Amino acid sequence: MNLASRKLINRVFTSVGVLSILLMAATLVVIMGPIVERGLGAFIFRGTVEHRRVLLQQFGRGDREALEAESREVAAARRPVYDLLEAFEAQLTQGPAELRRQYRQPLNELKQHLQGLLGPFPGKPEPVLLRDRYGETRWDQARARCDHIVYAEHYDYSDPSRMGLLVRTPRAEQFAGTVLEPLFTYVPAHLEEMLRPRWTCYARFLTDVSYDSHFFGGIGPELLGTFYLTIGAILFAVPLGVVSAIYLTEYARPGSRVVALLRTCISTLAGVPSIVFGLFGLAFFINTLRVSPSKSVLAGSLTLGLLILPLVIRAAEEAIRSVPETYKLAALSLGATRWRTMVTVLLPAALPGILTGIVISMGRAAGETAPIIFTAAVSVGQPLALWQTFTEPTPALPWNIFNLCSEHQAVDEIRHVQYGMVFTLVLLVLLLNSTAIFLRARISRKLRG
Amino acid sequence: MSSGLAASFLISRSAGRRKRLAGLLGHAALFLTASSSALAILFIFYYIFRDALPFFRQRGLREFLFSTAWYPSSPEPAFGALAIFYGSGLVTAGAVLFAVPLGVSAAICLSDTLPFRARQMVKPVIEILAAIPSVAFGFLALVVLAPHLQQHGGTMLAVVAGVLGLPVAALGTWVASDLCTTRWTGRTRQVLRGVAVLVLGAIALLALYHGVSFLKALQIASGTNALNVALVLGIMALPTIVSVSEDALQAVGRELREGAYALGATRAETMLFVVIPAARSGIAAAIILGIMRAIGETMVVWMASGNAAQIPTPWYNLLQPVRTLTATIAGDMGEADHVTGSARYHVLFAMALCLVVISYTLNLVSEHFVRRGGRVGRR
Repeated sequence: MNLASRKLINRVFTSVGVLSILLMAATLVVIMGPIVERGLGAFIFRGTVEHRRVLLQQFGRGDREALEAESREVAAARRPVYDLLEAFEAQLTQGPAELRRQYRQPLNELKQHLQGLLGPFPGKPEPVLLRDRYGETRWDQARARCDHIVYAEHYDYSDPSRMGLLVRTPRAEQFAGTVLEPLFTYVPAHLEEMLRPRWTCYARFLTDVSYDSHFFGGIGPELLGTFYLTIGAILFAVPLGVVSAIYLTEYARPGSRVVALLRTCISTLAGVPSIVFGLFGLAFFINTLRVSPSKSVLAGSLTLGLLILPLVIRAAEEAIRSVPETYKLAALSLGATRWRTMVTVLLPAALPGILTGIVISMGRAAGETAPIIFTAAVSVGQPLALWQTFTEPTPALPWNIFNLCSEHQAVDEIRHVQYGMVFTLVLLVLLLNSTAIFLRARISRKLRG
Repeated sequence: MSSGLAASFLISRSAGRRKRLAGLLGHAALFLTASSSALAILFIFYYIFRDALPFFRQRGLREFLFSTAWYPSSPEPAFGALAIFYGSGLVTAGAVLFAVPLGVSAAICLSDTLPFRARQMVKPVIEILAAIPSVAFGFLALVVLAPHLQQHGGTMLAVVAGVLGLPVAALGTWVASDLCTTRWTGRTRQVLRGVAVLVLGAIALLALYHGVSFLKALQIASGTNALNVALVLGIMALPTIVSVSEDALQAVGRELREGAYALGATRAETMLFVVIPAARSGIAAAIILGIMRAIGETMVVWMASGNAAQIPTPWYNLLQPVRTLTATIAGDMGEADHVTGSARYHVLFAMALCLVVISYTLNLVSEHFVRRGGRVGRR
């Protein structure tokens, strides 16, 4: 091979490495982009008058008089829509039966969309489901709904060799020649007046309970549940982990068979798939030890604690080992016992390192889903009081993200809640991790200086 | 004064005995606490095994391991988990195929190419990637990646293949033409080489064109398939692979590198023929840790794999939905829980037992590699 080829290969080799790192960074951007962008959309968005109505009626927040005044103006803007509908229905009842049959289905579809957009029709009884009592609370969803009003969509499967094609036909064509035809120009033109979008910062999304399976409200119970589970796991794992690390670093004879066995066990524990922890938690903590009658925060915390135990042990061990040998020797030479040296000299010096490990394990515990499926998590629930955590299951962010995006009956309509949850969880975990990075930077500066 | 000394001696002797006893007790207590993780492992094995045993008693091993009929809820249930094992293997293999080249080349770049400052900037990227919870990855796989794959998956694959394939084809042509004309020298060689470049280049371009147009014409019936999951699992395994293999590469001493450079090797040759062979145990350990991460992952596969207990046709088809062990445990437990004691409940523990055994074995293998790597590094 000549030199030119060797140089070329060398250059390509280098650029492949750089490219793969760039690709990794790009992956991170691609992952974080939608989470941040759409996740922020759960907090800051253009809320319609319906959003303010929900806040006032369900949470008792907001200015009642201002809302009433606004409601009157909005009702005036909506009046023509209802008038057109009434006129059309009157036309139908007077017209021939054939006409009624022809328009029954399209009319029902249209009325459904109108109800979804503006809430129940005036003068009709209040719907049973809370989600039907209000129109669209968010401007982006209102516009999507408006699009559904203007265009009817269906899929064309006439060509069996291809996937179904989306066909959009203007509803104005469906209702051409009827009194309803002006509705399809009126609604898009007067959407703003009918809904009054206004930029809203819904920070209480983090603390509000949710109504009607997350159609309205926030993620308070989920966040609280994640908080309980994480703290519980830490309370369980940190004492065990730190004491284990003390034993492994200072008391056990290095290189002995027991230590080797313990280390193998720790790394095995770190490698056990998280779902197996869930099964074990169910079989051991709930079915055998009966720490609680069924799923509970306590059982979930114990399971999560077991999961992060290896992390805590390793971090604490590393922290204790990185304390300079001279500290220990100085303490021992002053006549302190091993235990006293450990408690008064080594542990305080290793504390920042141990804290770093704890904070990272907290992030891990907060984000894990599989171990809490069978041991702690439920889909819907109220925020728990502290004493209830021993017996009651809780909703938790990771589990509810899964639940809302794959088992909820109206997945698309609560997309913003899902993104909001993902954003909150990722932000929580990243905050914990950056705290750890910050702590570690301070330690290394201190050790160097 | 001497009596005082004796007294203090006496006191310290009895106190010393007490102290030694306390020390021994303390030591024992510490040891017990430290062995909690060993106990945990023991208990995990025992309890998973205890609940898996009734299944094997009732149904035996053969159906479980060799049949693909998975109908746990039908009146005449069938518990053939072969397709589920296969699904786990397929997505893991896909993830490894994607993550290992990327991860190892990133590790090489981090350890040997980038200056210190740039490395400090890349480290947080890896840490953030490692910290993002699996359910967030699963959510993105399901909500963002799956619809894209379904709508323009063929085009996406074609673009990726083209972008990756074109430089590879060019470089391959260049190097191959160089290698197959080494017998000649001077002017003849240059002419022959030109001819070889033309011929090989044309062949490579033709092959690439056919490959890309084949991919472009692909129709993906469902975005929740093995490819989607393999990609996302690969991204999740990347941080492990990068950081562990970077450690392994760093552990190879400067002497080896400097020796290779002194012999006139380029950086690529040094890395490929000297450093990577020396670090291969550590890199193998990194790959195994990546495999463990991928095989034990639950949420991503549960959300985005399509959960169809079938072996894809043909067997390497990544574009069909599959089902994995972890997703089956997570998904079926909710329904099986109410009938604790049935085969349907215990089969999930049997699967968990398989998972534990697999991860235990992999862990032993990776520890073995790490130990060997450590020896090589020290020598």
